[in-house]
Amino acid sequence: MKERAAGPLTSPPIRKMARLVLLLVLLLAAARPAAAQDAYLDALPGLAGGFGAQAEAVERLGAGGDPRALAVLRALSEGRLMKRDSTVILDGTDAATGQALDVTGADTVRINNRVRSALRGALGRLQLVSTNPDERFAAAESVFRSRSAENIPGLEAAIARETVPRVKERQELALAASRLVAPEAAARRQGIATLGGASSEDARALLLEARGANPDLAVEIDAAVASIDTRLTFKRAAETLFQGLSLGSVLLLAALGLAITFGVMGVINMAHGEFVMLGAYTTFVVQEALRGIPWLLPWSLPLSVPAAFLVAGLAGAALERGLIRHLYGRPLETLLMTFGVGMILQQAVRLAFGAQNREVISPAWMQGTLSLPGGILITQNRLWVIVFAILVLLLAIAAIRLTRFGLEMRAVVQNRRIAATMGIRTGRVDALTFAFGSGIAGMAGVALSQIDNVSPNLGTGYIIDSFMVVVFGGVGSLVGTLVGSMGLGVLNKVIEPWAGAVLAKVAVLVIIMLFIQRRPRGLFALKGRAADA
Amino acid sequence: MTLSLTRRAALAGLGGALAMPAIRPSFAQGAPIKVGVLHSLSGTMAISETALRDTVLMMIEWANAQGGVLGRKLEPVVVDPASNWPLFAEKARELLAVSKVDVTFGCWTSVSRKSVLPVFEELNGLLFYPVQYEGEEQSKNVFYTGAAPNQQAIPAVEYLMGKDGGEAKRIVLLGTDYVYPRTTNRILRAFLISKGIPESDIMEEYTPFGHSDWQGIVSRVKTFANQGKRTAIVSTINGDANVPFYRELGNQGIKAEDIPCVAFSVGEEELAGIDTKPLVGHLAAWNYFMSVPGKPNDDFKAMWRAYIKNDKRVTNDPMEATYTGFRMWMQAVQKAGTTAVNPVRQAMYGQKVMAPCGYEEEMRPNHHLTKPVMIGEIQENGQFNIVYKTPNAIPAENWSPFIPENASRRG
Amino acid sequence: MSEITATPVPRGIPPRLLVRGAILAGIALLAALPLLNLLPAGSALRVSDFTVAVTGKWICYAVLALAIDLAWGYAGILSLGHGAFFALGGYAMGMHLMRLIGPRGVYGHPVLPDFMVFLGYRELPWYWLGFEHFPYAILMALLVPGALAFVVGWLSFRSRITGVYFSILTQAMTYALMLAFFRNDMGFGGNNGFTDFKELLGVPLNTQAARSGLFYAALALLAGSLFLCRHIVSTKLGRVLVAVRDAESRVRFLGYSVTSFKLTVFTLSGMMAGLAGALYVPLVGIINPGEFAPGNSIEAVIWVAVGGRGTLIGAVLGAFSVNAVKTWLTSFAPDLWLFVLGGLFVAVTLLLPQGLVGLFRRRAR
Repeated sequence: MKERAAGPLTSPPIRKMARLVLLLVLLLAAARPAAAQDAYLDALPGLAGGFGAQAEAVERLGAGGDPRALAVLRALSEGRLMKRDSTVILDGTDAATGQALDVTGADTVRINNRVRSALRGALGRLQLVSTNPDERFAAAESVFRSRSAENIPGLEAAIARETVPRVKERQELALAASRLVAPEAAARRQGIATLGGASSEDARALLLEARGANPDLAVEIDAAVASIDTRLTFKRAAETLFQGLSLGSVLLLAALGLAITFGVMGVINMAHGEFVMLGAYTTFVVQEALRGIPWLLPWSLPLSVPAAFLVAGLAGAALERGLIRHLYGRPLETLLMTFGVGMILQQAVRLAFGAQNREVISPAWMQGTLSLPGGILITQNRLWVIVFAILVLLLAIAAIRLTRFGLEMRAVVQNRRIAATMGIRTGRVDALTFAFGSGIAGMAGVALSQIDNVSPNLGTGYIIDSFMVVVFGGVGSLVGTLVGSMGLGVLNKVIEPWAGAVLAKVAVLVIIMLFIQRRPRGLFALKGRAADA
Repeated sequence: MTLSLTRRAALAGLGGALAMPAIRPSFAQGAPIKVGVLHSLSGTMAISETALRDTVLMMIEWANAQGGVLGRKLEPVVVDPASNWPLFAEKARELLAVSKVDVTFGCWTSVSRKSVLPVFEELNGLLFYPVQYEGEEQSKNVFYTGAAPNQQAIPAVEYLMGKDGGEAKRIVLLGTDYVYPRTTNRILRAFLISKGIPESDIMEEYTPFGHSDWQGIVSRVKTFANQGKRTAIVSTINGDANVPFYRELGNQGIKAEDIPCVAFSVGEEELAGIDTKPLVGHLAAWNYFMSVPGKPNDDFKAMWRAYIKNDKRVTNDPMEATYTGFRMWMQAVQKAGTTAVNPVRQAMYGQKVMAPCGYEEEMRPNHHLTKPVMIGEIQENGQFNIVYKTPNAIPAENWSPFIPENASRRG
Repeated sequence: MSEITATPVPRGIPPRLLVRGAILAGIALLAALPLLNLLPAGSALRVSDFTVAVTGKWICYAVLALAIDLAWGYAGILSLGHGAFFALGGYAMGMHLMRLIGPRGVYGHPVLPDFMVFLGYRELPWYWLGFEHFPYAILMALLVPGALAFVVGWLSFRSRITGVYFSILTQAMTYALMLAFFRNDMGFGGNNGFTDFKELLGVPLNTQAARSGLFYAALALLAGSLFLCRHIVSTKLGRVLVAVRDAESRVRFLGYSVTSFKLTVFTLSGMMAGLAGALYVPLVGIINPGEFAPGNSIEAVIWVAVGGRGTLIGAVLGAFSVNAVKTWLTSFAPDLWLFVLGGLFVAVTLLLPQGLVGLFRRRAR
């Protein structure tokens, strides 16, 4: 507003000064709350009305620029705003007069999507001037989505002031989006050009939406859309790859423990999935235990990792010492026995925790998406699961390659008798190896609690896939497990878009089955006797 | 705490009478009335069905505290069909032929109902089925106390296309690949086309049960939505697959303001397993929400909490349907003066109950209830903010007019 | 593994006679069940409809167990996908039963089953043709599982995939089939599968006559399968199979074509399972993809282990006893039955490597 007022001054100096002073006074008068206050007070009772009235009131409050509107709108979006009849109550005071009020009997103001959408635009406009760059970024995002020609001056001012590049970039897109609905054709054309340089699907959607309203600009819009599309193809390929790796990392986590218990020890543990489930429930228990200690709560997930390793590892050790060791050399019987153990574990968890899903909260650093150059969007939790899977793999390799336990384990696998004569307590090594594999399954459970249901059935969904990964990758080879899981994950995601989720999975299973016919020992076959189950 | 209550449930299941409170009004005479409970307590469906088992046991306890029905005590017969469909048929036969139950409350999935249907028809049993389903069925041996598609799906889509719902012009139909989503989506597709939405603006996709990797589908939905028209998702995704689906929606930043998603199988119980903050504003359509105001619901919730002894446990739509069905059955038995199936069936028609949803529901001769339709937005606390409800309870159209093969049934 | 012998050393009354007597007595007892069902309601000996129906189901399971035992107990081929053969046989019969419904379906279409009408099919898919004929359906119930077993067996045995690898492979096979059959687009009714059958061979299915007839058919199948298996294991084929089980490489070095022996028995076993499935479906009145679930196949293997692998009577005994326990416990202890059943599996594999039959034998000595 000030910028426009300052624009057309072309008179001699003194008159110019006088006029400037006058103008300033006038401007101050206009900017004084009195005028805005009226708009504010006028709009306020609408918030206590129906959804339609609320949306309208929000628009008006957002346009008015009254500083108190921001507080009210924030409270509304956070569900703190109350009302009694048509009085709007903000933090125990009358939002119109600022007087303290008794809030008993007042209702929370409820909103729906329509109001929320209006609120996003209004808050965005008001927050464009925030001192916090994150807030400004979010505001630009909101304005982008709520696009309206009214935003243009505010955005232009904000861009001029902005110093943080990523916020500026976002603001420019928001400006372009707003220009798209501007009344002047030139502004619209400018908006189209800017949006054509973006590589987001949102921009594409906006352009297509504008196409109907602007038949005269169809050529420009089509060109912009085509330019976006080229970049989107690359972006989609990158995202498919990421999704494949993400699925692969889930498979890797689920299969890694199995690669040790089955691949190294030759023990078929059908209760493996249940160890994964135990890990997920441990995450839940740790989280509940930390509820009393609020500052630790955000760290419950990292803390769950060792806990889950211990719980599943101990369960594994107990299973190995108590039952499995009596069945060495009889892998098929072990398979059947552990199936029974799995049934028992599942029902035990169901009775202890209830059949319902348990809620494991995602910490803030795992939520949302990360945008990479080129508009590639990566979901944070999936990214963390990939990182975690790689870490667990490195841990497993390190434990096997670098520690004394790993040395003894390899010795026992290669030649049990000679290892025993060298003074290695083979029984203890067996128990530790099995516990180690089970513990890794438990850690997988921590990760799976972030992307799947924490329910007694959690493990059953992964058991067959894990076996296939281990067999496909080559029994006894951790690198094989890595390559196998990632390969299958990507393959699955590449097939999925045109075959559908189910057929993709079936196709992958059939491909593995055919592959195993060709190479019965998998991708990375171990040479020698160790591979003979 | 959880342990003690499940142990209690186990006792109730084991011994029936053991779980009854000590203070009993004296029962006039006669053998106890046996109530079969045919809900999965293990396997994949246990997650949803155990709460219904508890609801039936609660109702039996409540009825006995009132002096039973016809002066006779009610006695539960609980079996576990273990989410295994042939076992459902076997257990149904056992309940009817061996335990000789007078009435059965049970089933959740359509396939379990289809599996027991021939048994109930052959042995002339009485089944109360409490879950919203695809319709296209009407057995004289079943009373359907959940919603038919017209009592849930169509009003929800109308809402999405209306001003308050965001005026959606493109619709994504996402579902688990089984008969309920297939039918519902077929009906919805016909409905959308009748409203002038072209085929090209409808996307339909099915996933297997327990689908957990939604990355690809959610990004395809995003692409579909970014074609310049307001888009909404209609989800008939079943049970377990919902948690990873909503997580993915949240993580890919799909907000309800951009692409609202209305679900027909997600209630308070399912939300209890999800962090609902990223989901605020997404919708569900039911005939009951736990957040319904009013005395009938307050009483229902108080009754549930007193029974389950856990303030955190929620109530949901199928539980309410079980409650309503049970009350109606009691009234019908009182009216018929017997528990024999044929007179009770006749007495059921026209029974009315003030349901916890705050409306009086009536059993129509088509074996379905009249029900109000409510649409709720998910709130941060895992409850629903009711943004729309029909003024009256509407009758069920179990034979949908949007399915051409049903033409012969109308008129 | 090798301590299990197909024929124990005779001592006292020849065990073979004992076993034969027990089998005959068992079959006679089972044969009497439907007759006892006809007794008046008050009679002490009367057997309920439920018992007849459930026993009929167990008999089908027993045939499945026999099929598994033939491959596992005698030839050492542990298939964790036998449920797939069973289910495929069931689907073949289910398709026949669906065709017989005819215009009595909900939508009254003269040819198409309800679910097809509903999914908008205009005509029958080609693979449904011919299923209106009973002999064709039975033939398919034999051929389709047989062909699948042959292909999977051929591919695997040729590449010398043995032991747990074969088990995992067959498990993946049944899992893939389950996922595929769950798809509604496959034309097999998706998750709901087939239900609401009306009649078979002109007899309405919800009558006592049909139930008794099916019961006797199943019993005849069981007796026939027992006879066939007995024949196989007591001829040269059986002896080679046991040799393959105990020392595959040695048999190969002796010049036998191990692959073809294994392939023969595995295909035969698959066909037997298919036929069992075909009879199972009219008895329980439903077939759906849940039958392909890997857990089902493993459970069936466990019946054999519980009864005693490598003995035919053991497989039958195992199927009956485990399922009896399951039927009883799912009513008696609905929250705890998984503990008992799981515990039973653990105990049997640990303590009774030869199953219940081994227990009797030990007693006998």
